[in-house]
Amino acid sequence: MTSHGIRHIVRKEFTDVLRDGRFRWCSVLVGALLLVSLGHGWVQAREAQREHAAAQSTAREHWETQGEKNPHSAAHYGIYAFKPRLALSFVDEGVDPYTGTSVWLEAHRQNDFLLRPAQDATAAQRVGALTAAQVLQHLVPLLIILLTFGALAGERERGTLRQLLATGVGRRDLALGKALGIAGALALLLVPAAAVGAAALVVGSPGPAASPVARAAVLAVVYLVYFAAFVALSLAVSAWARSTRTALVILLGVWVVNGLVAPRVAVDLSKWLHPTPSALEFARTVEREMASGTEDIIPPDRDALAERLMAQYGVERVEDLPINDVGAYLQESEEFGNRIFDRNYGALWDTFERQGVVHELVAVAAPLLAVRALSMGLAGTDVEQHRHFASAAETYRRDLMRRMNGDLTENSRSGDFSYQAGSELWESTPPLRYDAPTLGWVLGNRILSLVVLGGWLAGTILIAARRVRRAEVA
Amino acid sequence: MTARTVIRNEWRLLMADRPLRIALGLFALLLVYALANGVVWTRFQERTVEVAQIGNVERAQALVRELADIENGAEPASRFSDPRLPNVLGGARGRHTAVLTPGPLTALAVGQSDLLPYYYDVNIYTNESSFHQNGEVESPLNLMVGRFDLAFVVVYLLPLLVLALSFNVLSEEREQGTLALTLSQPVSARGIVAAKLAFRALLVVGMVLTVSLAGILVAGDLGDPGRVLLWCAAVVAYALFWFVLAAWVNSLRRSSAWNATVLVGAWLVLVVVLPAAINIAAGLLHPLPSRVQMVTAQREASNEAVNQRSELLARYLEDHPEMAEGVVADEPGLGALAWAATDAVNRRLEEVTAEHDARRAEQIALVRRYRFLSPALLAQEVLIDAAGTGDARFAAFQSQVRVFAERWREFFVPAILASEQMNAGVLSDVPRFRLADEASADVVRRAGVPLAVLIGLLGLVGAGAGVGLGRVRGAD
Repeated sequence: MTSHGIRHIVRKEFTDVLRDGRFRWCSVLVGALLLVSLGHGWVQAREAQREHAAAQSTAREHWETQGEKNPHSAAHYGIYAFKPRLALSFVDEGVDPYTGTSVWLEAHRQNDFLLRPAQDATAAQRVGALTAAQVLQHLVPLLIILLTFGALAGERERGTLRQLLATGVGRRDLALGKALGIAGALALLLVPAAAVGAAALVVGSPGPAASPVARAAVLAVVYLVYFAAFVALSLAVSAWARSTRTALVILLGVWVVNGLVAPRVAVDLSKWLHPTPSALEFARTVEREMASGTEDIIPPDRDALAERLMAQYGVERVEDLPINDVGAYLQESEEFGNRIFDRNYGALWDTFERQGVVHELVAVAAPLLAVRALSMGLAGTDVEQHRHFASAAETYRRDLMRRMNGDLTENSRSGDFSYQAGSELWESTPPLRYDAPTLGWVLGNRILSLVVLGGWLAGTILIAARRVRRAEVA
Repeated sequence: MTARTVIRNEWRLLMADRPLRIALGLFALLLVYALANGVVWTRFQERTVEVAQIGNVERAQALVRELADIENGAEPASRFSDPRLPNVLGGARGRHTAVLTPGPLTALAVGQSDLLPYYYDVNIYTNESSFHQNGEVESPLNLMVGRFDLAFVVVYLLPLLVLALSFNVLSEEREQGTLALTLSQPVSARGIVAAKLAFRALLVVGMVLTVSLAGILVAGDLGDPGRVLLWCAAVVAYALFWFVLAAWVNSLRRSSAWNATVLVGAWLVLVVVLPAAINIAAGLLHPLPSRVQMVTAQREASNEAVNQRSELLARYLEDHPEMAEGVVADEPGLGALAWAATDAVNRRLEEVTAEHDARRAEQIALVRRYRFLSPALLAQEVLIDAAGTGDARFAAFQSQVRVFAERWREFFVPAILASEQMNAGVLSDVPRFRLADEASADVVRRAGVPLAVLIGLLGLVGAGAGVGLGRVRGAD
């Protein structure tokens, strides 16, 4: 039998699925949830981005119109940075509800991102957050299982498998035909959703450009691979199981482990392998090191600095320096603090990232974890991209402090506490500009997930092929 | 045929069914694992709380020593950190960490305790923005996924086990042709299903409650019977809900396969889809007010306050005549001026925040109405409230800290205004935070509403099942 035969099988499977009332209802439900969550996500993301952009420009206005004051007072006044939302975040809000949305950039301190949206919501909202990504990761696989569990086991139970094979249909063609038929039915659901998603992307959210189209294309491929792996897995189980009931029970078991059990086990495993300090411990460590430094990070010594400056400028008294030694000292303190922050916050974020790798490794047992990591990465809502923005904000803070301390050093003299700078200085500092990471950067972080997901696809296809070849006819 | 006979036979049958045996064993394993997780988390929080409380004592002791040294003629390290100054002693150096001890049953339900702060450093500068804190250090990814605790096993996995145990409780008898035979005995279908399900319920609920009680013994507080009873009642009601749902579906006299499909669908809709749909609807209809706008409003409020610095002290003293004692209105100290500005900023922050909080409370009240639609949301709410890890307990803690911060200011601010110095003697009178934890009765009263609704749903479905089973005849 030839491709002609496959076409028959595809068409038959496709019409069977469409005629099945259960599938129609499930598809309508999943499709509706997908569209609603896409729409809701889009409205929310656009609103959030609009708001953050507005808040950012107000923050800049506050900075520029803060009036005449000492540059160090201005440094204490500081500026707020608001995390922008990337264009694709409406598909997958990822960890965004659990990271803060804004950070205060001020003198002497690297602050945490505060205001986590999840803290404002209720416990119930934490249980049942639904994004398009969650529909795609949880509900579409369930739909695939419901469509596929009886594909071969059912034919066998009804005795039609023997008949079919007797007509000369190859087993591989039969399985391929079934898979394509189911894929066709799924396409009826997914293609419109993808079109809506693409339209939303084109209509656009004003987030920073980060090659949204390329990201969206890769995102689509990732989900297709995930679905294909589920179709292959379901076919394999359907070919292997003795009854449709067994097939369904096994596949539902897989679904529960994949979607419910494994993700949470990964949390515990990641915390056990890479423990984080308590917030209290962390704060106390930073406080202690800021006060007295560490073995190789030594707090600046104001008198020694003054000596050095006097030697450099060849003067005898601090008052005779052509610069303000306080500004130089403040800058040295900033640099000292920065090293302490880099050490502590760097270690913390590294731990978070290592915990993330544990989640990606658990994907070997549950492909959802690989897809989730890739999906969040491409949507720009994973831990790494939060860190990316946090580092950009911190770099900006450091530059701002350098400018303030530099102005104080250059334009005033030691012992002069009355020096004030004005809007000229505030306006001369550039505003915070953020370039979201490129697609290559995102995928570079996610090689492990790409490999695991690819492995799942290849593995399930191989197993399906083998199971179909060996499937008992009756 | 008595219920005993049915139960004895059921036990034999269940034990003969290997997949079910495996499922039960697996469930027991998951229960123990979940409990172990919860215990580890409780211990972690207990340790943190202890460190925070030790910190309070150590800071106070260090200040007593330093003040004594200064009285004996030592020079303070710096004039800005001189502990005799009330704004130093009541400021960051002398701060007091107000602590919420872990909920009595945290080991059973992590709830919101990994997300919301359970301690705040209080000093005279504590204001509304001090409550913007992140809580425990935790990867956002882990927060997003949530913990594998007993509450999770109960809300999500227990229904699946219940359904696996009971989806064919009657249909199987019919499919095997034993139903007519059984019903020829002097028993009703209702009686048989009731006995079979009672046995299974005893098994499942017994397992959950045994592990729960073990957890309470190891890492909880049996001294709070109200919470323990609430927890047990929620587990029982929720498990029974799924059993009677299975009974009802069985009473419709369809095939086992049909029952399985419908029940899995029901689980999906009630546990996964409905909570999500409720949240989406709530988000669209009652969006929470934006914190981002609040940050901007707070910033503007404090700018405004700082700009009017000169007029502030007079107004402050008008508003707080009790603080004015000893202040010479003509020549206020620098500290008094600075404090007046700080206070003005705080008041404006309170206004802005109060407005935000009022809108938020309104929206949340609306959102919370919808939870009555989903037994999973109801069960989850009762479970974490019983555990002491729900939103309400954290909110109550925060308001107590607000009140405590006010007491703290009342202690130190008069001295700031009067430019007085403090000595080691006052340290014993400095306010200390005492948590007035919610009483068992309060929790029962609060969680009683969702529990009653859950029991109501159970009764409704149970009645449906009873009526349906009453119609089952052996000849079906």
